[in-house]
Amino acid sequence: MEVRNNNNNKYDRQLRIWGDQGQLALEQANTCLLNCGPTGSEALKNLVLGGIGSCTIVDDSKVEARDLGNNFFVDWESIGLSKAKTVCNFLQELNDTVKAKFLEESPETIINVNPDFFSQFTLVIATQMKEQSLLMLDAICRKQGVMLLIARSFGLTGLIRISLKEHCVIESKPDNVIHDLRLQKPWAELKRFSDEFDTEIDDSVIHKHIPFAILLIKACEDWRKTHGDSLPSTSKEKAEFKNLLSSKRRGVDEDNYKEAILSAYRVWSSPTISSELQKILNDSAAEVNMNSPDFWVMVAALKVVVETIDTSVILSIKYIENVEFLPRPF
Amino acid sequence: MLSQKAKVLMVGAGGIGCELLKTLALTGFKDIHLIDLDTIEVSNLNRQFLFRKQHVGQSKAKVARDAVLKFKPDIKIEAHHANVKNSDFDVEFFKQFNVVLNGLDNVDARRHVNRLCLAAGVPLVESGSTGYLGQVTVHVKDQTECYECQTKELPKTYPVCTITNTPSKPVHCIVWAKDLLFARLFGDRNQSSDLIVHTNDRTSSAATADTDFFNIKDGETPESYACRVFDGVFGDNIEVALRNEETWKSRKRPRPLYICEVYSDAKKPRIDGSCNSPDGNDKHTASAARILGLSNPQEVWTVRDSANVFLKALELLLNTRQKDIGSLVFDKDDQLAMEFVTAAANLRSSCFDIPMQSLFEAKGIAGNIVHAIATTNAIISGLIVLEAIKLLMGNLDDCRTTYCLEYPRRKMLLMPAELSAPKSSCYVCSQSTLLLEVNTTMTRLREVVEKIVRGQLSVNSPMISQGPCLIYETGDDLEEDMVTQYNQNLEKFLDSLPAPIVDGSILSIEDFQQEFTCHLQIKHREIFDEEKEPDNMVLSGKLSTTRDQALPGSVQLTAVADNVSIHAVDDDDEVILIDEVAKQDLKRKVLDEESVIVCGKRQRTEVS
Repeated sequence: MEVRNNNNNKYDRQLRIWGDQGQLALEQANTCLLNCGPTGSEALKNLVLGGIGSCTIVDDSKVEARDLGNNFFVDWESIGLSKAKTVCNFLQELNDTVKAKFLEESPETIINVNPDFFSQFTLVIATQMKEQSLLMLDAICRKQGVMLLIARSFGLTGLIRISLKEHCVIESKPDNVIHDLRLQKPWAELKRFSDEFDTEIDDSVIHKHIPFAILLIKACEDWRKTHGDSLPSTSKEKAEFKNLLSSKRRGVDEDNYKEAILSAYRVWSSPTISSELQKILNDSAAEVNMNSPDFWVMVAALKVVVETIDTSVILSIKYIENVEFLPRPF
Repeated sequence: MLSQKAKVLMVGAGGIGCELLKTLALTGFKDIHLIDLDTIEVSNLNRQFLFRKQHVGQSKAKVARDAVLKFKPDIKIEAHHANVKNSDFDVEFFKQFNVVLNGLDNVDARRHVNRLCLAAGVPLVESGSTGYLGQVTVHVKDQTECYECQTKELPKTYPVCTITNTPSKPVHCIVWAKDLLFARLFGDRNQSSDLIVHTNDRTSSAATADTDFFNIKDGETPESYACRVFDGVFGDNIEVALRNEETWKSRKRPRPLYICEVYSDAKKPRIDGSCNSPDGNDKHTASAARILGLSNPQEVWTVRDSANVFLKALELLLNTRQKDIGSLVFDKDDQLAMEFVTAAANLRSSCFDIPMQSLFEAKGIAGNIVHAIATTNAIISGLIVLEAIKLLMGNLDDCRTTYCLEYPRRKMLLMPAELSAPKSSCYVCSQSTLLLEVNTTMTRLREVVEKIVRGQLSVNSPMISQGPCLIYETGDDLEEDMVTQYNQNLEKFLDSLPAPIVDGSILSIEDFQQEFTCHLQIKHREIFDEEKEPDNMVLSGKLSTTRDQALPGSVQLTAVADNVSIHAVDDDDEVILIDEVAKQDLKRKVLDEESVIVCGKRQRTEVS
C-alpha cells in the first residue's frame, strides 16, 4: 500500500477515522452497483472517493435528456450512450486507483440467468429495484456470502436495507484499555521474579525502585494469606489494602509506592471475559475446519488459550510497557 | 420555479461547499455566488469531488465553478477567490441575495457572516461537519436566534504553566514544541519566550535563561548548536524545573535527557552541513525522517529515533531555509517543520513519561486536523438545500435544526429540533451591554483592542468611541494625522487617553461592515488572578462567547493566521443543544464521540 506511507496523503482525513485497517478493508473490497441512476451514482461516488478497490456498474439503460436534470454523472454529450459507461468514466476520474468497470446488462437478467456473477463481489448495492428481483438477489447473496445493500428513493423519501448473514470484526479499538498485570495470578516466571524482591530490605535506593506491580503482587499474596484466599471486595477492605501499602512506604520520594496505591484498583477489578465474548467462544462456528473464515479460526485459538491457561486471562503483551523492565511472558 | 428565480450566496467551497454547489445546481438554482479564500490541497481530494489532482494549488471557488458549469452550462455561478471578511462584501453585497448558505470551517468567519446577514436582513442557513457528525440550522433576523445567541466555546487552550512546566498529555508537548521551541528557533526572536524555566530562587536558572542561548554562536557548527539546544531544553531546563519542590509534590517527577545518554553506545546521525537530499528544498518533500530510514508516518519513533530526527531536521532547516529563519511560521504541511516538532515533542514526552506519538498523530494534533469524509457532507448539503427551499417558500415554521448522527438515536439518524426565538440578552442581535473589568491605570488601549474587541468580540474593523469622542478606528481612507493619533492612543493607558476611560465609562464599539454595534461598560479593577484571568481583563454580561472559567491562562500567541495559533483555531462542528428532549441523549452520544462541542465541553477543531 504505497499510499499509506505517503505523507501527503489524499486519504489523510479519513484515515483519521478508520485507520489503516479500515482503509485496507475499503481497498480490498469489490463492489457491484445495480442501476446507476442518481441514487446509485451518488453512493458509488462516495465509495470511489474513499478508495474502494473496484466497482462494477450493471445497467442496460441509455442516457436520456431527463437524466441530465438529476444525475450529476451524465452530461449532454452522453445522450444516447450507455449510462453505465458514462457514469463509470466519470467515477474513474474521481480516483484513478479505483478499478471502475461496467456491464451493459439489465440487473434482472443477470439475477435470473447468471447468479454466479455476484460471487466475485464483497458488496452488492441494488438501487431502484423491484421486490421480486430483490428477493432472488438476496437468496443468491446469502448463499455466496456476499453483503447486500438495498436502496430506493422517491422524491424526498427513501429507504436503505442491509442484508447480511454474519459480519465479523476482529479489530476493536476499546476506549479504555485496561492492561491486565496478572496481579492476582502471576504466571510461574513472574512469581519467581516477584519473589526475588524483598520489601523489608534496608537499602533505601533498592527499596524505592521495586516496581509497583511487584509491590501489588506481594500485597495481594499477603492479603490472601490473612483473608482466606480472597481479594478485597468491600470499600472498607479496599481502603485497608491501600493502607497496608502506605504503611510500607518509607518516604515521600518513594514513587513506586505512590503508584502502587493509585493502581491498587487493578487488584480487584481485573478484566475478565465478557458474556458476549463468551457467547462467541461457545458458538458452534468455533469448531473450525479448513473452510472456516479467519475470524472463527482466531476465536478457536482464543478458546484454546482460555481453556488451557486460565479462565481469567486476557493476554497482555503490553505488560512490558506498564512495568518497564520485566521480560516478555511469551 | 422557486429555485430558478432565487439568488443564492454560498460561503465556502470546501467539503460542504462542493456537495452543496452540486446539489444546488441539480435542484434548479441558476444564480449562485461563491466565496472561498482557500486553494486546493491533496488532502481535500477524498471528499471535495469537484477537484482533481491537477487542480492542487488552484482556487477552490474557481475550480468548483468550472466543474459544475461543465455539467450545467446554463447556470450562472460567480466565484470569488477572496476572504468573506473583505470589505467588498458589505451589507449592500449581501442584500442582493434571497438566502445565504454557509459551508465554513471556523467560528470567526461564521460570526462575521452572521452579522452581515442580520444587517442585510437576509436569512442564513448555517452548517458544520466533523467526521460522521454534522448539523444544519437556520437563522432569520428577529424571528429566530442568530448564530451568536448561543454560547460558543472558544477553541481549546492550555495553561502556560502546563505547557512550560508540567505537561501531562501529548498535546502539551506538541504545543510546546510548535509554539515555543519551533517559534523561538525559527520564528520571530523578539517575541518573549516562555521557554525559560525559572526557579523560585533566582540565583540559579537554566542556561536557556540567557536570552542569547538560542542564537548560533560565532564559529558554532550546526551540529554543536543542535546538541547544545538539545541539552538545554531537554536536560538543563528539566533539571532547573526539578528544583521547584512544590511543583512535584503530587506529580511524577520528570527526568532530564542529555545527548550523551541517548548516544552513549551509538553514533549520532551524520551531520555534515551539506544537504544532498534528492528532494531538494521543496518544503513538502524534504524530509529528515526519510533520510534516517523512518519512512512510515504511522510508526511511533523511539527516543533514539526522535533524537536523530531532532538533530537532522534542525540541521536541514538551518541549512536549507536560511532566508526564512527569523520569520518562519509553523505549517503542518511543511514536512521538516512537522518532523522537528514531532521529534521535539516526543523527546519532551519521554522526559515526562508521556506516551510518544507517531508523525501522523502528531500532525493531527499540531495542525488541529479534523477527520472528514464525503458522505456526511453530502447529507448536510441535502439538508441545507431543503431548509433553503423552505425559507424561499416562506415556510419558516417548517424550518428545523437537524443533527446528523453517527448511530441512530431513538431510531433516528437525522434528528430534527425546532428553532428558538432570538435571545434578548444577545449582544449581537439584541444589542445589550457588556461589562469589561480592567485596570484602567495599567492597561493600554492596544490590549483591549486586540484581546477584547478583535478577539472575544470578533469585530473586524472596529471603531471605538466614548460618547462623541472617537478613540480608535481602522480604515484605508483615514487621514494621516488621525492615524498617528490613533496609534498613539493604542499605546496609552486607558485613563490617560484624550477622552479618559475610567471606572463607569461606556464605550461604543462599531463595525460598519458588519453593521455591528455594542456597548461596553468599564469597571476598574486592580487585582486579577494570574492563572484564571491571564489577560488581566474580564468581559462579562450576556456574552455569547465565553471561556471556560475553570481553565487557567492560555498561551497567548499572536499568530498571523487562524490556522497557526494554538488557540484561534478553525472548527467545524458546533452542536447546539436546543431541544430538551433530544438534549440528554445527544449530549451523552456526543460525549462518547469526544469530538464535538456540547456547550462547555471539549472541542475538536479543524484546519482544512
